[in-house]
Amino acid sequence: MEGASTRGVLSHLSLLEVQARSRGSQVPQQPSRVKELKAKVEALTSQRDQLKAELQIHKKLQKLRAPVDKRREDGEDEEMDVDSESSELFHLMARHSELTDLLHAHNLIGGYDAITTNGGKGMCFSLATEYEGAYLDTYKLELNLKPKVRISRHNIPPFIPLNSLAEQSDLQTDVRAFLATVSQHLNAFAGRRQQLKLVKEQHKSIEVMESNLLCSILVLMFTVPKDKTPLLCTLEYTDHTRCLPTRVHLNCQDKLLPDSPNWKKNCSLLKEVPVHRALTAIKKASDIV
Amino acid sequence: MDNLAKHLLQRLMRRIPASMLQSTLDKWGRLTAEKRKSLDFTQSKLTITQELVALCEESELTVKHITELEMIYVTENPNQGMWHTFQLLDPEDDAHSVELMQFKEQFKSHLSELKRNVSVKIKKHTDEAVWIRVAWGDGLSRPNHLKATYVVHYLQTPYVFVNALSSKNKPLLLQALTLSTKHQQIKAANLSGQKLTALRDLLMRQYQQVFPTKYPSPLPESDQSISKLRIEKVQAEASANRHRMAGETFGDGMLPALQSAFFQLETKFKDPTNEAMTQRDEPFICSVKFSSSNLLESLRHCASSGIASTPVTPLLSSIPLKGRNYFVITDNVPNA
Repeated sequence: MEGASTRGVLSHLSLLEVQARSRGSQVPQQPSRVKELKAKVEALTSQRDQLKAELQIHKKLQKLRAPVDKRREDGEDEEMDVDSESSELFHLMARHSELTDLLHAHNLIGGYDAITTNGGKGMCFSLATEYEGAYLDTYKLELNLKPKVRISRHNIPPFIPLNSLAEQSDLQTDVRAFLATVSQHLNAFAGRRQQLKLVKEQHKSIEVMESNLLCSILVLMFTVPKDKTPLLCTLEYTDHTRCLPTRVHLNCQDKLLPDSPNWKKNCSLLKEVPVHRALTAIKKASDIV
Repeated sequence: MDNLAKHLLQRLMRRIPASMLQSTLDKWGRLTAEKRKSLDFTQSKLTITQELVALCEESELTVKHITELEMIYVTENPNQGMWHTFQLLDPEDDAHSVELMQFKEQFKSHLSELKRNVSVKIKKHTDEAVWIRVAWGDGLSRPNHLKATYVVHYLQTPYVFVNALSSKNKPLLLQALTLSTKHQQIKAANLSGQKLTALRDLLMRQYQQVFPTKYPSPLPESDQSISKLRIEKVQAEASANRHRMAGETFGDGMLPALQSAFFQLETKFKDPTNEAMTQRDEPFICSVKFSSSNLLESLRHCASSGIASTPVTPLLSSIPLKGRNYFVITDNVPNA
């Protein structure tokens, strides 16, 4: 019994061996076939990419041609010859890409960015704010362009007087001036708010007695090291387009202290230098704890 | 401690839930630490109240102190009662530099000029909100501390939130507010609700709004099997569009928990099969009220799931856009 089954297995094995040997000569053909197919795939992929790119260019051309074509449909300039039509088209295309690049560059240097919305009937502006090299919040402002230029949606907080700024610079003719003013107000606000945050973080010995949402007023309580007398310092930021206070006022039980030469110097320092850094300097001079 | 103070304290204790009692009393700070420790908060509210009244009497506390406690409780738990919003208009040139001290003095003096015997308490909260408590009396009677009006205002913003104001005292309060914030007019803002935080977040834009961007959709995943792509693409695009429009209208993430919207329709009846109604000249007056635990999230879900058509109708999108939840709709002007 055993002998018969091993004979069967052995003979099967030797049959397989013969088959493999005869197939061995065919094996080198496989890798070349694979290489062939891979090359074909690459060629087809690059053809597909090329066609895709051409399609994109055609679509863009169509978009730019649309206003020119529309004019032709309306019956004007029917006798425009091919040369002037294509030169006008190229002129438009050049202008369009110049403006797009300009806008992109403007955005890269920290200015606002804009995109059209609603099929060209509106625009959405991204106003970024920064202070001392760090980007802070970005605010968005949407304008409707037809029939009149009007502010539509935005996420600018209500203590920035958007409507009165819009009235001051004529929205219909000078949107850039309006955006520049809004950006100025937003950046100044972000700067003042950041200074307050840094004061709270870096100067824990100084108590913030009062502030407001607009960060246009700041009342701080200092402690004079000599006899631990409290000194109240009020910083008024009446110019909302600036990050530095317009007025600094001191209040102390010791009436002579605010008039001392040291403190007069400190007051003018507070008007010239951002508050968190001014406080570091004043602490260093041991005028406050 | 006179009877009024006792009565006020007892009423207040009924309002404050047992869980918040200890923390509110700690914030109040009018009772010494050892007196507070002597209170056993595991007892019934009635017993705690009785013990508290006794302690306050010992410390000789007055109505003034009890109203302080009430103010602390309301400031920490503002989402009760019904808040109505008003909007200040026509700011004067120096409206933007009104600061707290100035506002406090001006408000108190204007209000007491308009009505004698009012008790006013003003306090600034940590989030820069100015809280005002007004107890109204008149020439003959003392201020009624049981029905005090609360007002919340953020300086340099045009919005004022008011709770529990009677129609008799409304013009006086509004005038005092207008004058002390250096504006020339004030009008109803048509936004009311129980949750002050929701009203405030909606108007101050303290939620995640969505704006159109240059690159609206994230890069598609590249490892999906082809058959799945073909099946899902038809639905996916429409669904993505709906989600985008719903998000642009209402916002992203957690939305302010507005709880109701009220539409008053005064339009002509339009049903050709009902002649009796269409023949009438007067408009058909009908009111529609939407209620929800979070109305804006419900509406956003309606839009993104297709129950409400997109782009979202101005009737609904006006709620977050204009920050109001009361609308009167007539035939000519859709949003009065």
